[in-house]
Amino acid sequence: MSDIVLTGVSVAYDGEPVVRDLDLTVASGEWLSLIGPNGAGKTTILRAIARLVPFRGEIRIGGRAVTELSSREVAREVAVLVQEPQMPVGMTVSQYVLLGRAPHLGYLGKESSRDRRIVRDVVRRLALEDLASRPLDRLSGGERQRAAIARALAQQAPVLLIDEPTSSLDVGRQQSVLELIDQLRREQELTVIAAMHELTLAGQYADRLALLVGGRLAAAGSAAEVLTEPAIAEHYHAQVKVIQMNGSGTAVVPVRR
Amino acid sequence: MLGVKVRAGPALPAVLAGVPRLRWGWAAAGCAALLVSCGIGVLVGPVHIGAGTVVQALFGGAVDPGQANILWSLRFPRVVLGVLVGGTLAIAGAAYQGVFRNPLADPYLLGAAAGANLGATLAIAFAPGTSVLGVNIVPLAAFVGAGAAVAGAYVLGRSVSGLRSATGLILAGVAIAAFFNSIQSYVQQTQTSSIRQVYSWILGRLVTAGWDDVLLILPYVLLSATVIFLHRRLLDALTLGEDEITSLGIPVRRIRLIVVVAATLGTAAVVAVGGTIAFVGIIVPHTIRLLAGRSYRVVIPLSVLFGAAFLVLADTAARTIVAPAELPIGVITAFLGAPFFIAVMRSTRAAAL
Amino acid sequence: MHKHQPGASAKLAIRLGTVTFVFVFLVASCGGTSPSGTSTPTTRFPVSITEPGGAIVTITHQPMRVVSLSPSATEMLFAIGAGSQVIAVDDQSNYPSSAPMTKLSGFTPNIEAIAAYTPDLVVAAEDTAGLVHGMQALNVPILVEPAAKNLQDTYAQIKQLGTATGHSSQADSLVGSMRSQVGSLVASVSKPNRQLRVYHELDNTYYSVTSATFIGQVYKVLGLTNIADAATAATPDYPQLSPEFIVSSNPDLIVLADTKCCQQDINTVAARPGWRAIAAVKSGQVVGVDDDVASRWGPRIIEFMRAVASHVQQLEKQAA
Repeated sequence: MSDIVLTGVSVAYDGEPVVRDLDLTVASGEWLSLIGPNGAGKTTILRAIARLVPFRGEIRIGGRAVTELSSREVAREVAVLVQEPQMPVGMTVSQYVLLGRAPHLGYLGKESSRDRRIVRDVVRRLALEDLASRPLDRLSGGERQRAAIARALAQQAPVLLIDEPTSSLDVGRQQSVLELIDQLRREQELTVIAAMHELTLAGQYADRLALLVGGRLAAAGSAAEVLTEPAIAEHYHAQVKVIQMNGSGTAVVPVRR
Repeated sequence: MLGVKVRAGPALPAVLAGVPRLRWGWAAAGCAALLVSCGIGVLVGPVHIGAGTVVQALFGGAVDPGQANILWSLRFPRVVLGVLVGGTLAIAGAAYQGVFRNPLADPYLLGAAAGANLGATLAIAFAPGTSVLGVNIVPLAAFVGAGAAVAGAYVLGRSVSGLRSATGLILAGVAIAAFFNSIQSYVQQTQTSSIRQVYSWILGRLVTAGWDDVLLILPYVLLSATVIFLHRRLLDALTLGEDEITSLGIPVRRIRLIVVVAATLGTAAVVAVGGTIAFVGIIVPHTIRLLAGRSYRVVIPLSVLFGAAFLVLADTAARTIVAPAELPIGVITAFLGAPFFIAVMRSTRAAAL
Repeated sequence: MHKHQPGASAKLAIRLGTVTFVFVFLVASCGGTSPSGTSTPTTRFPVSITEPGGAIVTITHQPMRVVSLSPSATEMLFAIGAGSQVIAVDDQSNYPSSAPMTKLSGFTPNIEAIAAYTPDLVVAAEDTAGLVHGMQALNVPILVEPAAKNLQDTYAQIKQLGTATGHSSQADSLVGSMRSQVGSLVASVSKPNRQLRVYHELDNTYYSVTSATFIGQVYKVLGLTNIADAATAATPDYPQLSPEFIVSSNPDLIVLADTKCCQQDINTVAARPGWRAIAAVKSGQVVGVDDDVASRWGPRIIEFMRAVASHVQQLEKQAA
């Protein structure tokens, strides 16, 4: 339905290969966390799936190759939450979320009452009702992030690609954002791929993890399988202790010798 | 397709709160401003013609032929031209600001003014009074010059930066403008006998006689304004990051190209007959943003109305202040525009522009 | 019969007398002026000339290498017979055609380029770009004869140039002839029933001239009312008029000084929307003059006056 299959995907920036011959599969409705050291190519893979960069190889969503879709069709399949969304000054929350309906409108199309209803419902779902008329620059960081999520949801795409949803958030906010995304995923049967550098959280919310190193897939599987001390030591050059918490996932704790 | 699962709740109103619309109050104000300024424009002039006479002339009553002549041959066409030129410069300015996401962008950003000035200078200096296909060569050369400059900026920008960023295009426009300006200065300096006419053209004049000029630019102006108007919602979308816009399935590059071409077409046409009138393309859209809202759904339509009104008023001033002599309209637009804008900025809480 | 032989002193006296007579004869015959211009001056050098601007210029000997950077001065120089002394004129001095036109510019003069001609007198219409200072540094006398404000100025400039080049008597006779021609033209234009209005067009963007200019004064001398004078308050000399105003002023005579620069003539004027109603257009009194003649203050102004006067005469006949 909305499973994602990458086959032999390679991406190069200015001749420099960033992703090398990657094979990856994400099942429909699954949450996959992409982890790996800085520069491993996590963001690049997300961009390739959203067809924001050219790539070699094949990427299929729900069986359809993304290269055969128009950019509007891609936008109806894939919603992207970038790491630092631009919040235009003076734009209200409603208008911002309404932009998410763009893939469903014609080139010069005007939004219909159905589009407005969808936006209203999404705004309500993300508890932004009272802020609907407020300009984005007058929102707090957490509210802005919810607005960005709302916009992505308004796209009604079955696939959600998230780039570092928790950077610069405090631990409480980190949890609430990830909980929210997980809830939405279950409600809407979304397929989520999240690039995350926070390893514990990555493991707690994902069904599977994929560890990327140097543009290649170094490991893939459950949190317990991928988050191991030797793997992290080898690829991150970091000293950690991995603790299995029953029912609460795998904790990766930095150790200071 | 997935639907959004709605929790049960009270029925909500059909209107979506917070989405900017053009409020009818502002639209009415714009129309009123336009009507008032046109009224002033037809009633005021170096030749005193009573209001009753003007109304009678408009509606086909019997009027002194001398005054009717002045009204129909000179004053009415001039006011209409002012409407077209002012509205186009303002909407083109707003469009450029939207495409380049730069509040200082104006319709001359990509070299249109430099190209038009050069074309007109060459025509005035070397082939004055000639016509091609029944059109005076000066506006034709100015039009071609403006188009050539922008096309040149486009080609240069693309070859250098691949149009990945708007900055590359802007820099190309600056380079092209500097180049054309230097040639224009050289020609102007060496063709001293025509220096006064060139100078007068560059500062802008809305002097027209008969409806030829109006009819000449009307198709370009209408096309340009219509295309920009249709893209007003997309211009709002262009304020997001480049990746974000593309991920929404919005064809950024295509929109930029279409809007720039449309805005340039309109600008080239009005500059061809009116000279390079400065300030309108920046002042009017910005003032509207400060007063009526930042969304292009509001700024675009109001820019047309208020831009037209502004220029008609400025032109009326240009031909009455030193009557029976005339001032170049560019002087008036700058003189009126700047203090007004400062006053608006100070009285409104201006967020980061 | 015995002849009385002159004595030795008598012979000497005769010889002296003959020599004196021959000498005087030679001097007298060489002293006359001839129309094509000779190099024998009718002025005694050195001369001191007070420019219209007040500066005093001293010319030590008759200049034989004159450079003119002013088209009006060029016309004057050739008209007073000093043409053979002129070795270079600026790029706008197109009259007379025999004038040695060069690429020198009176508008943006290049001191070195002028100096390359090793002039012994430079005549210019304005002191731009340090021209006077430059010439003084090179010890070249320079006469600045700015745009004349009226006919008196023109006469004065002609006389000055006559003095400076050693052609005073020719200059005087030229001035005299101009004066009498002007007088007869004015007389030919008898006082009409009402003041006739004139619109003088400098270019097709409706620049005109007021009575504060040379051409404006010429119209005044001919008894015409210049419609551009209504704009004097704002622009004293060269206003850009509003076409509405021109049409409603209904001038009786339109003088087009933009026949060369802007290809204007009676047909193009009549084709301007709204202008057909003007009296001058209706009666065909739209006269095109040579742009140069109308913009200079040299001897050819008489031509201009003659053309205008003939149209005024026609108008008066029509009015009668």
